Amino acid sequence: MSKKSRSKLWFLVHSWLTLPIWFFVLIVCVTGTLAVVSQEIVWLATPEARSTQPFDDAPLLTYEQALTAIHKAEPNLAVQSISRPDESHFALVARVVYPDGRSPSLYINPYTGAIQGESPSFDFQAFTRALHGWWLVPFTNGFSWGWYLVSFLGLPLLGSLITGLVVYKKFWKGFFKPNLRFNHGARIFWGDFHRLCGIWSIWFIAVISITGLWFLIQAFMFDNQISISTAGNPPVVARQDVPIMPDGKPAPQISLDQAVKIAAERIPGLEASFVSLPSNAYGHIEVGGPGWYPLLFQTAEINPYNGAIEGSRMIADRSGLELVTESMRPLHTGDFGGLWVKLIWFFFGLILSMMILSGLLIWTKRTALATANAFKRSEKSQRAPAKTQTATAHSQQPEEANV
Amino acid sequence: MSKAVAAQPSTTLGRWWHKWRFHINVLLLLVPLGFMPKYFADASLFRGDSGLGEREIGIVQVGPWSLKLAEFRNEAPRPDGPAGYMKSFNAALCDTCIDQVKAAYLRIGKPRSLRAAGVIFFGTPYRMGATMPIPDRTKADAELWITLEGWDGSMHQASIPLSQASPATVAWLAQRGTK
Repeated sequence: MSKKSRSKLWFLVHSWLTLPIWFFVLIVCVTGTLAVVSQEIVWLATPEARSTQPFDDAPLLTYEQALTAIHKAEPNLAVQSISRPDESHFALVARVVYPDGRSPSLYINPYTGAIQGESPSFDFQAFTRALHGWWLVPFTNGFSWGWYLVSFLGLPLLGSLITGLVVYKKFWKGFFKPNLRFNHGARIFWGDFHRLCGIWSIWFIAVISITGLWFLIQAFMFDNQISISTAGNPPVVARQDVPIMPDGKPAPQISLDQAVKIAAERIPGLEASFVSLPSNAYGHIEVGGPGWYPLLFQTAEINPYNGAIEGSRMIADRSGLELVTESMRPLHTGDFGGLWVKLIWFFFGLILSMMILSGLLIWTKRTALATANAFKRSEKSQRAPAKTQTATAHSQQPEEANV
Repeated sequence: MSKAVAAQPSTTLGRWWHKWRFHINVLLLLVPLGFMPKYFADASLFRGDSGLGEREIGIVQVGPWSLKLAEFRNEAPRPDGPAGYMKSFNAALCDTCIDQVKAAYLRIGKPRSLRAAGVIFFGTPYRMGATMPIPDRTKADAELWITLEGWDGSMHQASIPLSQASPATVAWLAQRGTK
């Protein structure tokens, strides 16, 4: 095969990858883009989710102070965890259970402890993630097939990136001489747009497709009982450590602030971004937050009766392989460096969605015809003369005329 | 857009593909639309908005205490990899026993001791869940045993027939038995 026809073949592969499912790919990209900033969208739409400082220099409440404030307002509420979103404009989120069994999240003012509101029953964050992540297909036995469907798209996405770079001759020149022609018709504009966005999105498309493929591998490994985890079973409080109370009342537990203090002593630099209360009498208080490596959380399990640290998961506890694989999710979602990283992910998510649309526009204006021509050329010799004539008539049209 | 393609593929399959290829999009879009009611029903179930579980079993008296028991899902046990088939139940402790009960356990068949009381419930006294393995050899007349452990060290047990706790599980066992 000649060099020219080989590059033509690459071009056809690039043009046809995922084309029949372009709308599916587009929706997955758009919902993924929305999911990146879903927390911010909730913040915009829900005043209760915001954090308002009552006066300048008002100090933030500690976890125990927030818990006390919640119990003062709602003595019968059972609190399961309190988390502090990593940006100060968000309210604390407390997962609670009411005596009637409803278990919403509550937005808590981080300065006053006031219960500002309840999370709505339509959870926008969870919905966009479910739509993007597994196409709403329920998990009934291992990973849902929707998860496989979506994560499989990492393959054509990576293929598009590679074939795109193969057919875009000397693409690196586009970095120095950006080319976006407005006055040469729609096809030229969208072609320039597609190429320009493409080269500046190389890193992003690579990150999204590779992490997306990891989700596929992860599901495959889980469903086939292949584990690379070095984390053991979650610890339970030993039976003899749970006091027997002659009066029949629950045994006293250490405060959340004590637990945070104990964890901070063990994990230098730990900024506890969440505290989970024991999930039964044999459970631990779990304190966790990001460590020196911002992509991963570190956690410590603290015995609520004697304050002993009985389990922990540090950055150093992960194997090299786990450091890579556990970084995949934050890299995919852009949730590891605050608002600015999210906005960068959001921006390139929009660009990627636009690339699908611009690619489709180019295809409708050019590739359909180019494919037909290539198809006809290959069949020309085998076909009846009469048919060849019509085919030739088409293929003789100049390409730019089809713009 | 397909009008630009002048040459028609010659095989039947090729023609069929050519005609319908873009309709895959429609099929794919029907998937989340079709699962949407299920998604929202599940979200409501997880959030506790639609009750303790899909099927309430009723109140079970366990010694001086009682709890409300529900099947989390009104369906046969679900496979969970090498762990075998699992079944989840939810429970809520009675108001007066919340401060007295240290832990609740669930097991098929009578436990010999507190240490073999079965799976422990996780969650809050208002809404807690336990997921237990259902062995293949479970008899249709098996009993579900509930063990409550008090903070004072006391232990109380009660049982209900599995057929009352989960008719779907009994039906599933019967079906597996005939295979």
